[in-house]
Amino acid sequence: MRTLTFFLVCLAVAAAVFVLARLVGNDYVFFAGYVVLQYIVLATAWNILGGYTGYVNFGSAAFFALGAYASVFLHKAFPVVTTYFLDEPYALPIPALIVIGAIISGFVGLGMGYLTLRLRGAFFAIATLALAVVLQTLITNWSYVGGARGAYVIRPNEIEPIGPYIHYLFLLMLALVVIALTVARSIERSRLGLGFAAIRDDELAAEASGVPTLKLKLIATTISGALMGMAGAPFPYYIGYLQPSSAFALDYAVNSIAMPMIGGTTSWVGPLIGAVLLGTLQQVATVTISSSVNLLIVGLLIVDCVIIAPTGILGLLQGRRTARDVVADQAVFALLFVINVIPIYFLHQEALSARPLEIIFWAVLIFLALARGRMIGLPWLVALPIVGAALSVVPGPSWLWLVSALTLVICLACGLLLRPREAIVRSGTP
Amino acid sequence: MDIPFDFLTNALVDIPFDLLVNALVAGLLLGAFYAAVTIGVSISFGMLDIVNIAHPGFIILGSYIAYIVNTRLGIDPILASIVVAPAFYALGALVYQVYYASFERYGQEALRGLAFFFGLLFVTEVTLILVFGVDYRYVEAPYIGPSIPIGIIDLPLRMLVPCLVALALIGTLQLFLSWSFLGRAVMAVAQDQLALQLMAASPTRIKRVAFALSIATTSIAGALLIVIQPVEPSIGREYIGRVFAICVLGGLGSLPGALIGAFLLGIVESVTSTFYGPSWAPAVAFGFLLITLAVRPAGIFGR
Repeated sequence: MRTLTFFLVCLAVAAAVFVLARLVGNDYVFFAGYVVLQYIVLATAWNILGGYTGYVNFGSAAFFALGAYASVFLHKAFPVVTTYFLDEPYALPIPALIVIGAIISGFVGLGMGYLTLRLRGAFFAIATLALAVVLQTLITNWSYVGGARGAYVIRPNEIEPIGPYIHYLFLLMLALVVIALTVARSIERSRLGLGFAAIRDDELAAEASGVPTLKLKLIATTISGALMGMAGAPFPYYIGYLQPSSAFALDYAVNSIAMPMIGGTTSWVGPLIGAVLLGTLQQVATVTISSSVNLLIVGLLIVDCVIIAPTGILGLLQGRRTARDVVADQAVFALLFVINVIPIYFLHQEALSARPLEIIFWAVLIFLALARGRMIGLPWLVALPIVGAALSVVPGPSWLWLVSALTLVICLACGLLLRPREAIVRSGTP
Repeated sequence: MDIPFDFLTNALVDIPFDLLVNALVAGLLLGAFYAAVTIGVSISFGMLDIVNIAHPGFIILGSYIAYIVNTRLGIDPILASIVVAPAFYALGALVYQVYYASFERYGQEALRGLAFFFGLLFVTEVTLILVFGVDYRYVEAPYIGPSIPIGIIDLPLRMLVPCLVALALIGTLQLFLSWSFLGRAVMAVAQDQLALQLMAASPTRIKRVAFALSIATTSIAGALLIVIQPVEPSIGREYIGRVFAICVLGGLGSLPGALIGAFLLGIVESVTSTFYGPSWAPAVAFGFLLITLAVRPAGIFGR
């Protein structure tokens, strides 16, 4: 019953989102929003297997692309289905395609799980990577669905009761989000979710206490795969021209891992938060900066997040602390400090409007300096990146940027080399 | 509705003998190179249980360093990579220290450790793209270009030299692991970490050395890669699957096993791309991996 309430609340929120988007009156909102919604579905789907059960899937793109290519196949195979009120030839309705995409991806997920889940966890991760490449090669060599050249899927401009077609796609994706969130939440609160958590925490112990681990894992891969396939099914209609490199794009694999990790993997809220934040950030970023820098930011956020905030944003909100002791470790400090400077450098070369994005990484640097400074008894260390950030973000003559870089070098050097006698060296045992 | 599965019926060509022999030889040469690429993962994943999927990222980094040294200073890429290897060793030690301090110590390596390496892979790849662009880069060396004809076989030197270097690298590592004290300690970690702790030895220190060694090999493997083919940052991804396929195929943690697995994969890929076209080669490699995982997860020479 409570699931039903949740479902209805979700529906209401979705309806509100749709109405709001309509009120803005700009179709770009729908195009950008569609991608964010798609990521919510992907992240939630990934989290059912990755977050609840603890099995990492690197092949999200494969399941997504399966859904997309199933649509392309059906679009080609059944080109003319004349509906009652439209004269033009019309392919299968997209909701049907979504169901078919879900079934196909779900089956592949099941088979995938059956092949590999009897092995140790890492093998599953590797096998999903392999699956993605095998599928991509098959699709690339399959000329019926376009092969390496790609396939055109002409979408109608309008659809009867709703209006512009992109509004329809947006609405469909909203529905999928509602479904995905409801599924994730009901799993979380059921015996199934308990079993998943038992597998994640200690598979051997779970098995010993009578949890049917293999069966549960197969359920998880199937549900997760099916949801990803659903997210992929409308994609050809969104993009209009589908080629293997866009359907199997790494963005999907990276993002569907990064979003739950950043949001928090233990609850359905985590992927939602992560996807909304990161997805919106990327939509804003694609307008201002190049797509490579975009990927760099996502990759780096994964690294930062798994080290600094192991429980994600959700964990931070719930008052669990960041891993400050871990960050203060000499090696962790050095590596994180250096790699967090990389995006700042590249963002600085982009347009001026990209500067605000730098703040994320400056914040990480400040946190690093703070943690390290406290550990080695030099609290003033934190001042250096703060000065650097102030000098860098504010537009000014180019030598300011050099000064800012200098503060970072000094901060890194001091953090690594200076060790006052009265240094408080905390023991690192958990 | 016509049957759209034309790619499955795609031609069994009648096979000319000399083409087959050449494909086999090319496969062997390629296999030795694959072994050099895999050897690091054989150590880190096979022996230390560290799923370092960022390994190909380090290899591409090695390629680009060889490329820079070669174009700026004109030094032989393989020689340069051997000189740079200690720096990679240090990098490996650093990465392991981070991995240990953040994940392994808390027993959270399964999910977050994997994500960490995944992120690292991206950071290296995208940084290289941002610095060098997506153009293919290549090196120049006297052995790139000419080939030795032996009867119907054509031995290209650009494959032969990497093959020999790879074999030397694997031989050295195998000698190190089986004869030196430290090497045997690494093998001990692979067998039983708990027992090692009971003997009052720190597995962490040994793992750091071993992991650093595995990253040091990527410097050389990277140079071999750029000798064999032009390199752009994202080709590393093709190697993720290949490397783990070989590692699993040969049995985890066994260097000779990895060598034989690499030869197998090299031959299969070479024959496939000769007779069916290069676009099929990756599917064969990964299909191999999937079948191995399903049928014989311990690998051909697994324990």
